[in-house]
Amino acid sequence: MPDREFNLDLRDIRFALFEGVDFAQLGTCERFSESDQESIELLLNEAAKFHRDVIAPIDGPGDKEGCRFEDGKVFTPKGFGDAYRAICENGWLGISAGEELGGMGLPTVVEMAVGEMQVGACCSLSLSVGLTNGAAGMLAEFATEEIKKAYLPKLIAGTWQGTMCLTEAQAGSAVGDIKTVARKEGDQWYVTGTKVFITSGDHDMCENHVHLVLAHTQDAPKGIKGLSLFVVPKYLPNAQGNPGDFNDVVCAGIEHKMGIHGSATCVLSFGDDDKCKAFLVGEECQGIRYMFHMMNHARLGVTLQGVGLAAQAYNYAFEYAKERIQGVDIEKLKDPNAERVAIVEHPDVKRMLMWQKAMVEGCRALLYETAFYQDIANGAADEKARTEAQNAVEFLTPVCKAYSSDQGFEVTRLAIQVMGGYGYVAEYPVERHMRDIKIASIYEGSNGIQALDLLGRKLTTKAGLYFRQMLQKMQGWAKDNKEHVQLEGEIETLAKGIDNWSRTTMTLGMKGMQGDRRYPVLCATPYLEMTGNVIVAWLLLKQAVIAHDKLEALHTSEDAQDWETRDQLYAQDPESRYYYNKIETARFFVHNIMLRNRGIAEQIKSEDRSALNLIV
Amino acid sequence: MKILVTVKRVPDPEQKVKIKDNALDLSGMNFVVNPFDEYAVEAALRLTEKAGTTERLGEVVVLGVGPKDMTQQIRSCLAMGADRAILIEGNDDDLDSEQVARVVTAVYEQEKPDLVLMGKQTVDGDNNQVPQLVAGYLKLPQATFACSLDLAADQKSLLAAREIDGGTENKRVPLPAVASVDLRIVLPQSVKNNVTDASHAYPEGPRYASLKGIMKAKRKPLEQKSAADLGIKDLAPRVQPGPGDEARRATPAPSRYQSGVCGRANAEAHRRSEGLLGLTPNVNAFTVPAPRSAHERGDKHGQRSIGRGAQRR
Repeated sequence: MPDREFNLDLRDIRFALFEGVDFAQLGTCERFSESDQESIELLLNEAAKFHRDVIAPIDGPGDKEGCRFEDGKVFTPKGFGDAYRAICENGWLGISAGEELGGMGLPTVVEMAVGEMQVGACCSLSLSVGLTNGAAGMLAEFATEEIKKAYLPKLIAGTWQGTMCLTEAQAGSAVGDIKTVARKEGDQWYVTGTKVFITSGDHDMCENHVHLVLAHTQDAPKGIKGLSLFVVPKYLPNAQGNPGDFNDVVCAGIEHKMGIHGSATCVLSFGDDDKCKAFLVGEECQGIRYMFHMMNHARLGVTLQGVGLAAQAYNYAFEYAKERIQGVDIEKLKDPNAERVAIVEHPDVKRMLMWQKAMVEGCRALLYETAFYQDIANGAADEKARTEAQNAVEFLTPVCKAYSSDQGFEVTRLAIQVMGGYGYVAEYPVERHMRDIKIASIYEGSNGIQALDLLGRKLTTKAGLYFRQMLQKMQGWAKDNKEHVQLEGEIETLAKGIDNWSRTTMTLGMKGMQGDRRYPVLCATPYLEMTGNVIVAWLLLKQAVIAHDKLEALHTSEDAQDWETRDQLYAQDPESRYYYNKIETARFFVHNIMLRNRGIAEQIKSEDRSALNLIV
Repeated sequence: MKILVTVKRVPDPEQKVKIKDNALDLSGMNFVVNPFDEYAVEAALRLTEKAGTTERLGEVVVLGVGPKDMTQQIRSCLAMGADRAILIEGNDDDLDSEQVARVVTAVYEQEKPDLVLMGKQTVDGDNNQVPQLVAGYLKLPQATFACSLDLAADQKSLLAAREIDGGTENKRVPLPAVASVDLRIVLPQSVKNNVTDASHAYPEGPRYASLKGIMKAKRKPLEQKSAADLGIKDLAPRVQPGPGDEARRATPAPSRYQSGVCGRANAEAHRRSEGLLGLTPNVNAFTVPAPRSAHERGDKHGQRSIGRGAQRR
């Protein structure tokens, strides 16, 4: 049994950060001038230590204990309040936020690295942290000075919790159908309505809650264009800025759910007595625009949940498989005296572990690539570079969110499979990871919505500019590296895969242009999977080419020219072993995962409409 | 108030140990600050701050002796809040207690701190020799195995409670002095400086570096020197291994007394168990499997009377 539940692959996090993306380029952006590699290495080590020692220990017990709802109050599991405050006090809430928000203005890609630790250590708690961070960022961007002064310091200090109140019982994905209304009496707005599935909507970790509520104002048009955004505190700030009068926001109950047991999912009732004061953010009827503004960031947050939990499950299963002795080597099946081996030696177990490794490292690379573009878009001096990077962010965000959460779930499934019965029982953490990760494909825009976003919005905006830029980037790389000494074959396969993806995109585009709406939408989810597969294959091969150069340098410096000495080197030296495995991982992904795109392309080309034909 | 805190890097006690050629294989090992030294840094910070404010009442200087890579561990002490650092470069293999003590002594002469604060021992070698040696060389009073420290209001003396067999011993040392700290120094109320409110309770354990602290750490001065800069000719061990010694160094004897194992257990026990700190009056018992006489422990006679050097070499 592995020593610890919480295991981080800091080596791959560092690789993805410092070698996988052009981290040094960020240093040339003025706003990231403080982010040199040495400081960030120190930051990663300290963050890992903090999350391992302080946060991770509450996750398992918190899952078993769960949140409680008693006498109208929500109680979080033991230790959650202290842990939440420790995160805030140590500055781990929103490290990419500006200094006016109490952050350090660090690159988003660094925030992702720390976020993976936070999610991996305790997913339930990380949601509260992320929501407060998101709410603070939104207010900083759009709210009046008065609102900022009253709420921001409290949110940043972690004494008040921020929430996002969109969903209602009858309106989830179709957020325009909400029934919550806002009316104005004199200068004061009041809201009335009931919101459901509100994460951290009420709990005992903080002294106050700051709800960001979407509502229709009286004369507003129907649908999403008529939505306005309001700040609604649970307790109104008094003259000293502390929680004062109760503001008619009641938690009517919490959900009992499959995972994230330590996170309270609340039903919130606003204005039961018509006394719920609300404060308008920005302008009337612009609510959805403000929400979209922060959506990219929030979707990266959900991507993190996929990567962070999948990584935890894989790391645990891998450690377990190295220790669990069962059966003999396949070559010695008939020898009753054969030595019993660890299950990691069995080909089928190795295949499952490699699948997990490839997917975890691939999704991590995809996330960091996107976050890196976000940083360039925010920080580069050159306007053209900023625009191009922003286009890449727009294109990649729905892919990140849906691909990582779906494939991450698959990783947890395989982690349980590797561990067999022990993976299925609650004594080990992987079944918890599986339950906790499932929600990531549902909230923050379900994965079906992400696929629609990719197909309907991201492919069509600016006459397909986002897609063409991405395509050129990938084709350009494949062309530049097509004679690679070691990975020539895989890169050729990738180039064909890119063409295949491009042709499939055109097929769907043509259908749309011919006025066929139903068929492309039917194909949206498989198309997103195909997109994720080919982009991740590209990113992993990019990493493998870098790893190849580093490994060659080590072969030279260690004088390991033949395979025998190399094997010895890999056995002893973790660096060379890491690089060697990196190359094999990329190979595996191309042959075992990306090649499935051929099937998806065939499926899309087939124009099979049987699902639509189903009579219900 | 100026405090010199010594810091050593050790292989991360939480890692699985790799054995190669009958010896510990340190290649690719992750190194961390020796846990007891981390406690010393925490104690020094508590002595030089007014808790709850950012006010500093003194200076904490971190001193490391080791390879260049050690800057990483030193920076993490700066990130905790220490003010500046000195690294004397040396090869881990060449350093024995005596050499390190000479270096600390030389740095003391340059820095003239009011207090030298050290971990009672490192969890790799588990020798528990350097603090006593330094006090001896400097002819300074010493208080080893301190589990609480109380700085007098006039800052001229320090009251230490020392972990001894069967309880604690209170001892007041005039400053300047050398003190080494034990596990319980990081309990919530173990360190008093007569400025922080006496009822203040710290979180248990050494503090975690805050994000702000981490980003500030790189701007804090870190002076790198060689032993020669201190007037020490070289850092080779003074006692050369005799015949058979090499083998003993490489092959861990299969004994319960093997110090590295106990040290690791000790550090791990700290990391894992919340209750341990409160329950065990003498944590040192973990490293001393069988009762031994006070004389054998070596330090007691030396430390009862203030100012005499260590007896144990």
